[in-house]
Amino acid sequence: MRRYLEFVGNIGLFALTAVRRLLAPPLELQMTLRQIEVMGWKSLPLVVSAGFALGLVLSLHTRNTLVRFGAEGLLPTVQALAFFNDIGPLVTGLLVAGRVGAGIGAQLANMRASEQIDAIEVLSIDSFKLLVIPRIVACSVAVPILTILMDVAGLAGGYVAQCLTSHISAGLFLFRAFTNVSWATFIPPTVKTAVFGALVGLVSCYFGYTTNEGAEGVGRAAMNSVVISSLAIILSDVVLVKLIFFFFPETAA
Amino acid sequence: MSGDRHPAVAFRDVTRAFEGRTVLRSVSFDVAPGEVLCLIGRSGMGKSVTLKLLIGLMKPDAGAIYVGNENIVDMEENQLSKVRRRMGFLFQSAALFDSMSLYENLAVPLKRLLDATPDAEIEAIVRKNLEDVGLGNDGHKMPGDLSGGMRKRAGLARALMLDPQILLVDEPSSGLDRVTEAEIDALLLRVREKDNSTMVIVTHDIREARRLGGRIAVLDQGSLIAIGSLEELAANENALVRALVSEA
Repeated sequence: MRRYLEFVGNIGLFALTAVRRLLAPPLELQMTLRQIEVMGWKSLPLVVSAGFALGLVLSLHTRNTLVRFGAEGLLPTVQALAFFNDIGPLVTGLLVAGRVGAGIGAQLANMRASEQIDAIEVLSIDSFKLLVIPRIVACSVAVPILTILMDVAGLAGGYVAQCLTSHISAGLFLFRAFTNVSWATFIPPTVKTAVFGALVGLVSCYFGYTTNEGAEGVGRAAMNSVVISSLAIILSDVVLVKLIFFFFPETAA
Repeated sequence: MSGDRHPAVAFRDVTRAFEGRTVLRSVSFDVAPGEVLCLIGRSGMGKSVTLKLLIGLMKPDAGAIYVGNENIVDMEENQLSKVRRRMGFLFQSAALFDSMSLYENLAVPLKRLLDATPDAEIEAIVRKNLEDVGLGNDGHKMPGDLSGGMRKRAGLARALMLDPQILLVDEPSSGLDRVTEAEIDALLLRVREKDNSTMVIVTHDIREARRLGGRIAVLDQGSLIAIGSLEELAANENALVRALVSEA
């Protein structure tokens, strides 16, 4: 219990330091853009292919149920709402936690173990500002963009599955998909993924940056980054969904 | 620390413990400007910790650490950063940034700290420093492509990028063959001759301390048990000091 509280306290302080240093110069724009490229662009194939497959599977699963109730025509709507509301944001967050979180944790822990972080400090460069802030910002920016692409890929997967069974036109599929979708059902769940991104960045940077256990610590930092950031995403989703319902009651209807 | 001429660096009763184990116990020493001090001792006796304390990577539990006339112990990070600009550090592992080429590794401090320096000038300085350590044709290589000796030389070149007045060197010869070891020592001596830098060098190898000259300080069980010239240490009453010095 004490260890758990200590961990929560330490990561809380780490987060506070990150917030305090976020806008302090230098802004490290170049490093941030580089991290967005590394995290976002390189995660794209994973996110898009996973989204397409999920869309396909979701369509195949829900089709039979909807047919039984004579509501087959609602399939594109169900597909769109499921992806926009939670499948897209949550799965993207978890995929990024797995791919990027492990990468950040291992990379920073390796830099710590090989004294590269000390070397940055010795060169009078603020290592926290250079290594931690750009990664957190990059995750916050990249995850919402990846979520949108996951949503698009999911709809594409659903359309392909529909085509195979009912030869629906793309125009009709999209019309039905977006019939019940308002900005309120799309924007808030997508924006909440910026929080998922920040959590992945924060948790992974915390484990990587603060580890001091040599080579063994590298593996542990990578594993902890994935496990804790995945858990943080799922737990925060509960709170964020509640907040979305509170501020946008029409989404709960 | 009064008087006109301050030591380049000084430890005053510095104590540091890790998880209840005291690594340094009330250690005091001075290093004069332009002097070379070699810290020797058995493994785990606090030699590398001493260097990290000297450059502010760690804080002592007690005592004062002076760089020039400034006590760095209670300094804020931005003040410490200014002090560090006068210092260079060669890490035991060289600590090159493995995502950057050798050229980029050396250019980093100049690009980050000297905003107004034109790229052409930075390039000229980096090329010169690489040539000085015999890596003139290797700037494009990644750290992973370098041998241990080349990494050490590259680390030294990077440590010298900001023309430091004080150079801290952690185990310059560890993991190297004798020929490469002597080459690194020759480089350090050349730097000393050229820039008259103050050097604090951690080594476990008395042959190296002998080659580099200057005074030798012996750390054992967290205490500074002897400090002086090689001849003085050879005549020391402590058997461990004599044993460490006579290992050549």
